[in-house]
Amino acid sequence: MSILATLLDPATLQLGLDVLRAAEYDSYDTDDDGGILLLLALGPAGAGLVYWSLYRYYRNTDKSHDFERETTIEAQPVTGGERKVGDRNGTTSSSIDNANGRAHRKRVNRFS
Amino acid sequence: MSTDPTVSGEPGHDPVLAADDPVTDTVVNPGAAEPDPVIDTRNTALHDGVNRCPKCGSTEIQLRVSTQMLICLFCRHEWAEESIDPTISGDGTLDDLSGTTIASGASDITSDEGMASFKCGGCGAEVVVNTSESMSSRCHWCRHVLTVNEQMPNGAVPDAVLPFKVTRDQAVKHISDFAGSRRLFADRTFRKEFTPGNVVGVYLPYMVVDSRATGTVAGKGEIETRRYTRKHGETETTYYDADVYQVERNVTFTVDDLTIESATSRTSDVRVNTNNVINTILPFDTKNAVRWNANYLVGYTSERRDQDVSTMVPVLEDQLLSITRSQVEKSIKKFDRGVRWENEKIDVHGTRWVSMYLPVWLYSYYHEHKGRPMVHYIAVNGRTGETMGSVPVSHGRLLMAALTTGTVLEGIALAIIGATL
Ligand SMILES: [Zn+2]
Ligand SMILES: [Zn+2]
Repeated sequence: MSILATLLDPATLQLGLDVLRAAEYDSYDTDDDGGILLLLALGPAGAGLVYWSLYRYYRNTDKSHDFERETTIEAQPVTGGERKVGDRNGTTSSSIDNANGRAHRKRVNRFS
Repeated sequence: MSTDPTVSGEPGHDPVLAADDPVTDTVVNPGAAEPDPVIDTRNTALHDGVNRCPKCGSTEIQLRVSTQMLICLFCRHEWAEESIDPTISGDGTLDDLSGTTIASGASDITSDEGMASFKCGGCGAEVVVNTSESMSSRCHWCRHVLTVNEQMPNGAVPDAVLPFKVTRDQAVKHISDFAGSRRLFADRTFRKEFTPGNVVGVYLPYMVVDSRATGTVAGKGEIETRRYTRKHGETETTYYDADVYQVERNVTFTVDDLTIESATSRTSDVRVNTNNVINTILPFDTKNAVRWNANYLVGYTSERRDQDVSTMVPVLEDQLLSITRSQVEKSIKKFDRGVRWENEKIDVHGTRWVSMYLPVWLYSYYHEHKGRPMVHYIAVNGRTGETMGSVPVSHGRLLMAALTTGTVLEGIALAIIGATL
C-alpha cells in the first residue's frame, strides 16, 4: 500500500517528469531517448499486462472450443494459384495491411 | 446391421416393423419436391413408455456412471442401449455424403407442447409427463416409472445420448480445483458462498454434424523483396519493398462429428453471460453415444433443443469457413508479409444432422457487479473431465496487484535511468 501511495503522490509524479526532462536534456546528443521512453513505459505496460492476464485467467472470456483442430477433418490437397498484381515499394509497414491469414474466425465478404 | 438412410414423409407415424429392428420403412414423401433423407433413430422397443428391466421387469432403472450402463435398482442387472453410430454412419464413408440427411430426432420442432401422456402399462391409468421438467414420471397408482421414449415434435427427445462417465464426486473435485487455483483475486462474496457440492448434472442438447464441403478463399498476399534503412537526422527508419499477389486457395474436406449447440438460451455473449466456457469443454467422444433411453436421464436434468436444422445452417457454414481458412494456412507460408483474405465461399455438398444429449456437470453462481447481473459457470465435461469456468474477480484486488507490479517495474526503470544519467 505504501508503494502505491508513493506512486500516486503528485510529488513522485513530478519527480518522474523531472527525471524524464533531465534525461532528455542530457542525452540530447546521444541516441537513447527511445530507450528511456521505453523504460518509462515499463511500469504502465507491466500493470496493464498483469491486470489483463489475471482477468483472463479468472474469467476466460477469450476461450472457445478449438473445433478447427479438435474435430476429425480429412482434407484433400489444397489447390489454387497466385499471380503478381503489383508492387508495394518503400513502405514502413513490416506486414500486409489487415492481415487475416491466421484469424480463421474473422469472416470476410462472402461471394457465391 | 443394414443401415440405409430411409426416406420418410411423416415423422410422427408409427413404424411398421419388428420392435427391435432399427431399420425402418421406405415410404417416399409424395408431397415434397425434394424429400430430405431421414435416418430413423426411434427406439421402438420402448414405445409404450414402460421401460422395464429385461431380467426382472422392474421399472426402477437408472444410469450407473462408473460403468455407463443402465442398472435395475431391483435386481442389479446392468445393460446398455446399442451404439447409435452404425445407424447414423451406415456403410458409406463421409466422401460419399451428399444432400441433407436428418436423423428423425433432429426433425423440425413443430410444437412447444411439453406434455406427454401415457397409458400406464402397469395399471392402465393415464399418466402425464411434463417434458420441460423431466423425461420420466411415476404412476401414482401403481408406482411404475413411465419414461418418454417416443420422439416428440418439441425437441425433447434426441436421436442419441452420451451417458455420464465422470461421477459427481469427481466433478466436485474438478470444480474445487478450478476455483481453488483462482482464489486470491476472486470476488469476496464468491469465496464465501462457493459450494461445489451444488453441482448439477445436465444433459445439454447439441447437433452433431457430419459434412463434406469445398471452401474457396481469395485475397492478397505480399512477399518481401528488399529491406533497407535510412537515417533522418537522429532516427533510422526501416523501409520494405514487396511484391503483391492475388491469391486463391480451394480445399475439399470432410468433417466428422462437428458439435454445435442447439438451444438458443445458451447463445454465447461474453458481455452478458459466461456461456462461452460451456462450449470450451468440447469435444465429447460422440462416437460412443447410444440410442435414446430416458432412463439415462434419471437423476439428471436436461435442456430441450429449440433450434431446427435450417436455423443452424449459418452456424455450420461459419464453422466450415473457419475450417477452410485453417486448412489453407500452411499453403500461404511463402507470403512472408502475410495474407489478407478478402472473399470467401463455402459449397456444402452434403450434411448429416444428429441430435444428441451430451453430459455436463455445471456449477453456476449468480453474481451482480455494479448492478449488472451475470451468471458465472464452471463446467465439467461429463466424459473427459475437462473443466473450464468463469470466476468473478475482485476488481479492487486486481487493480492493486497491477499497480504494485507497475510501481515495482517503474522503480526499476527509474533506477536504471538515474544510474545512466
Ligand atoms: Zn431387474
Ligand atoms: Zn400405473
